[in-house]
Amino acid sequence: MILRLDRRQPMLAALLAVVGVMTMFSAGADWLRQIVWIALGAAAYVAATIYDYRRLRPLAPALYAVMLVLLLAVHLVGHAALGARRWLSVAGFPLEPSELSKLLLVIVLAAYLTRDERITWRGFTGALGLVAAPAALVLVQPDLGTTIVLLAVALGMLFIAGARPAQLGAVVTAGVVAIPILPHLLHGYQRRRLEIFLDPTQDPLGAGYNLLQARIAVGSGGLFGRGWLHGLQGQLGFVPERTTDFVFATYAEQFGLLGGVLLLAVFGLLLLRLLRTASVAPDRFGELLAGGVFAMVLVQVVENVGMNIGLLPIAGIPLPLISYGGSATITTLAALGLVQSVMVRRRHVVFQERPIPLLGTIRRRAQA
Amino acid sequence: MTSWGPLFQLGGVAPRPRWSLRLVSAAALAVGLIGVLIFQLARLDVTDGPQLAALARANSIRHVVLEADRGIIYDRHGAPLVANSPEWNLTVIPAGMRSSELAELSSLVGVPEQTMAAQVLAARDGYASLTLKTNLTEAEELAVSERLPDLPGVYIAQHAIRTYVDPLVFGHVLGYVGPIAAPELKRLEAEGYQPNETVGKVGVEAGLESFLRGSDGWADEEVDARGQVVNVIAMHPPTPGDAVFLTIDAALQRATAASLAAGLARDGKTAGASVVVDPRTGEVLAMVSLPGYDTNLFTHGISQADYSRLLNDPNKPLLNRAIAGQYAPGSTFKMVTATAGLQEGKITAQTLLNCPPYLDVNGWIYHNWASYSLGYMNVAKALATSCDTFFYQVAAMVGDVTLAKYARAYGFGTAKDIELPGVMPGLVPDRIWKQLQCGVPDLNSDACRWNEGDTITFGIGQSYLLTTPLNQAVYVAALANGGHVLKPTLVASVHDIAGRSVLKSQTVVTDTVPASAANIMAVREGMREEINRPYNMNYWFRAAGVPADGGGKTGTAQWGGSGLDLPTHAWFVFFAPYAQPEISLSVFVERGELSEVEAAPIGVDIMKFYRANLGTIRP
Repeated sequence: MILRLDRRQPMLAALLAVVGVMTMFSAGADWLRQIVWIALGAAAYVAATIYDYRRLRPLAPALYAVMLVLLLAVHLVGHAALGARRWLSVAGFPLEPSELSKLLLVIVLAAYLTRDERITWRGFTGALGLVAAPAALVLVQPDLGTTIVLLAVALGMLFIAGARPAQLGAVVTAGVVAIPILPHLLHGYQRRRLEIFLDPTQDPLGAGYNLLQARIAVGSGGLFGRGWLHGLQGQLGFVPERTTDFVFATYAEQFGLLGGVLLLAVFGLLLLRLLRTASVAPDRFGELLAGGVFAMVLVQVVENVGMNIGLLPIAGIPLPLISYGGSATITTLAALGLVQSVMVRRRHVVFQERPIPLLGTIRRRAQA
Repeated sequence: MTSWGPLFQLGGVAPRPRWSLRLVSAAALAVGLIGVLIFQLARLDVTDGPQLAALARANSIRHVVLEADRGIIYDRHGAPLVANSPEWNLTVIPAGMRSSELAELSSLVGVPEQTMAAQVLAARDGYASLTLKTNLTEAEELAVSERLPDLPGVYIAQHAIRTYVDPLVFGHVLGYVGPIAAPELKRLEAEGYQPNETVGKVGVEAGLESFLRGSDGWADEEVDARGQVVNVIAMHPPTPGDAVFLTIDAALQRATAASLAAGLARDGKTAGASVVVDPRTGEVLAMVSLPGYDTNLFTHGISQADYSRLLNDPNKPLLNRAIAGQYAPGSTFKMVTATAGLQEGKITAQTLLNCPPYLDVNGWIYHNWASYSLGYMNVAKALATSCDTFFYQVAAMVGDVTLAKYARAYGFGTAKDIELPGVMPGLVPDRIWKQLQCGVPDLNSDACRWNEGDTITFGIGQSYLLTTPLNQAVYVAALANGGHVLKPTLVASVHDIAGRSVLKSQTVVTDTVPASAANIMAVREGMREEINRPYNMNYWFRAAGVPADGGGKTGTAQWGGSGLDLPTHAWFVFFAPYAQPEISLSVFVERGELSEVEAAPIGVDIMKFYRANLGTIRP
C-alpha cells in the first residue's frame, strides 16, 4: 500500500512555515501565535486533503455567495485598522475575508471554467464578471493588494483553462487603457504609493520611507546576510510592517542573497509541484483548482518580494506562509491541502502494461 | 463524506503527466518571474549592497557628539563671571521621521509646521541631527518627552548655554558666544569645529576660544527605530574647557562701571569708557565701556527686534569703546610733547616759556584755552595749567617726526596685544599718512601737505592723533612706572580641568620710552602739580576724601574738524600713589565738554573705591 500523497509539496510548505516562524522570532513578533495559526492551517490542510475536492464543484454558487456576503459584511460590521476596513470578528477571532476570498475565487472560477472545454467570449466575459464583484468590494476596503491578487488569479486561471490569446490580449489592452484612468479610481494613499514607487526620492520621510527602509534592509544583507537574529534594520524596527508586508526584507537582511535565492527557490519548487498536480489531475476542475492555487501563490510571491526589493509598487500583500497572519496562513495551507486532495485523486491505471524494464531503468537513471 | 480510498494506491501506476503547452508556459512564467526577482535581489545585494549597508549603519548607529562644557571665566579672586546653565533643544534626525510627526511637534512646541518643514527640507544630510527649536520651556520639554516613544527620529538634546553675571558690567570684557557662522566655520573647520557648534564671538570668549572650548567627545549609539538607545558601541568622553582667571577685580569693575555711569548721568552724557591697569604688571584690573548690553540675550537666542535695536542705537552699545573707540587724546598727550622736548634737549625742566593767549604761526592764529596770558612757566607748571601755547612752542621746536617717534614709544598708534578681538590701534599721523589721505590728484596740493599748524596742534594731542582708552591707560602706566610700556593683559592664569596651570600671565615690556629717568620724573612732577593745585582738580580729591597722591592729567579733545567751538571729548588719566604707583587709569567721556569736571571726578571716584577696598583688591 503506497501513500498517494505528493510528499514534496507539504515538505516545501513546512520549510516555508519554519522560515516564517524564524523570521517572526528574530523580529520580536508574536511567533507563538503564528505557530498556532500554522497548526490550525495544518489541520485545514489535512481536512482539505481528505475531502474530495469534486464535491466542491456543485457548491461553487453557494461559495460565491458566501464570499460576497463576507466582503459586504466587512463594510457593514468590519473593524478598521491602518485606515482600511478589513477585519471581521468571528467568534472572537479576527477574520480577514479578503484573504479567504482568494481561495474562494479559485474554487468558484475553477467550477465556472470547467463547464466548457473551450473558452468562448461569452464564458470569458462571464468569468471576468464573476471576479469583478469581489474585486470591486475589496478595492473599496481599500485593499489594492488583494484586488491585484484576485485579478491576477482570474487571468492565470483563464490562461490555464485555455483562453484564446485574443481574449487575454483584450484584457491586457483594457488594462493599458485603464492606466490613465486608474489614478482617479485609486484612493489618495494608493495613488501616492504608485507615485512614490515611480520616484522614491519624492518623499523619503513619508511614503517613500517604507520603500527605502526595505531596500536598505535587503541591500545591507549582502551575500550571506548578517546572520539570524543579527539583523539591524528588522530587529531595531526600522523596517516598517517587518513581519507582514516587509517580512522578506527582514528575512533577507539576516540571510542575505544566498538565503533570498534559497527561499525563492523553495517557492519555485512549490509552484512547480502545484503545476505537476495540475498536470496529473483526474479532471478539468482539479486541474484548474491546482492552476488557480498556483496563480494565487505566484502572484503573491512576485508582488511581495518585488515590492520588498523595489521592483514593484507597494501593495499590502503577504508573503505566503512567511508573513504573520492567521487568515492568510490558514487560507494558504487550506489551498495547498485542496491541491493535495486533487493529487491523491489523480488518475491511475490499475492494469497498465508494464513498461519494458530496461527502458524504465534507463529513464529512471536519466531522471536521477 | 470523506473517502479514504484515494489516499492510498493499491496497485497500478500513475499515468505520465499531461504537460499541456499552457502548463509548460505557466511553469516557464513562474521560473522566469522568480528569476527576475533573484536578479534584482542580487543587484541590490551585490551592486548597491555596500552603499545600502552604510545607510543601514547610519540608520541604526547614531553618532552623537558629547558637548564639552565650556570653560568658566573667573575674576582674579575666583568669582565666577559666567555659568553654564542647562537648556533643552528639540532635535530630530530627519531620515528617521514620518512626515506626520511635524504636525504633532508643531502643536507640542508651538513652532509653525511650515517653518519646521522648511528646516527639514533644507537639511543637507537626512541622517545628521537637526535642531528644530532651542531653549524649550519646562512644559514643552515634558510634553515632548512624554510623546517620544511615538515620535521616531525625535529626541531632546540637553546642552549648556552661557549665562553671564552682570552682563552690563562685564559684557564688553567677556563678550558672548553664538552659533558658528559660515565664514568662521571655513576658517575653523581644520580645528574640528562642527557646523552647529557655538563659538566665542567677541570679548574674552572669542580671545580665549582655544582654551575655553574644550574638546567634544562622541559616542556611537545603537538605536532602534524609535530613537531609543539600545547599546553604546564606543565612546570618547569630552574634555571640558579650561578655567580662565581674569586679572579683572569684579568689585573694582563694578565700582568703575558705577562711577562712570554716575559721572555720565551727572553731566547728561551717554557714553564713556574707563580702563584701570596695574602699572607694574600691565594687568587690567577693570575695563568698562558704557553703554553696555545684555550679552545673555545673545546666548539665549536674540530676537531680531532686540538685535536691530542694539545695532541702530545711536550710542552704539555693541562698541567696546575701551579697546575700539578711537578719539583724539587732547591735552593728555602733552606728557609726550614734554618728554620729547626734554629728552631732545629743546627745553630743560627749568626752561621758562611764555604762555600767551594765542600764538601766530605764519599768519595762522593758534589759541590757548585761556584768553589771557598765564605768563612764563616751566614744563611742570605748563602741564599743571595745561598751557596750549607752551606746548605749541615745544612741538615746533621738536618737530613732527620726533614727536611721532615719542608718541609711538609711549604706545600710541599700536593695537595692544590683549586677549580680545577687535582692538583698534588709534593713529599717530605723519607726513606720508596725511598725503595718502588725499586722493591721488590732490596728493601734492598744499591742503594735503603736512604744515606747521599740523605739527603745532600735534603737540597738544590734536592734529590727526587718535588713541583709545586702553592705549591711554597703558600710556599713563608707562609714565607711572618710569617709561616702560607694558603689554596689557586680561588673563591672570588658565587652568585645565585637572587644575594644572596652562597659562600664566607674565609682565612683558613691549617698549621703553627713550628718555632719562630725570626727564620722566620732570613730566611726572607736572602731573602731580596738576592734581595738587589749589583750584579745580584738587577739589574733587578733597571732596572725595582721597589724598591727592599721584599724578594726573585732564584733556578736552576737539574732534570733527578744525576751527573753534568744535565738539569735544573729555579725558582723564591718572596714576597713584606718586612714589610707588600701583594703579593707573584712564577715563573717557564721549562728548564731554569739561574734562576737569566731567572726567576727573569719575577717576577720583574709582580711586576712592580702590583705596577703601585695598585689602580685598590686593589681598
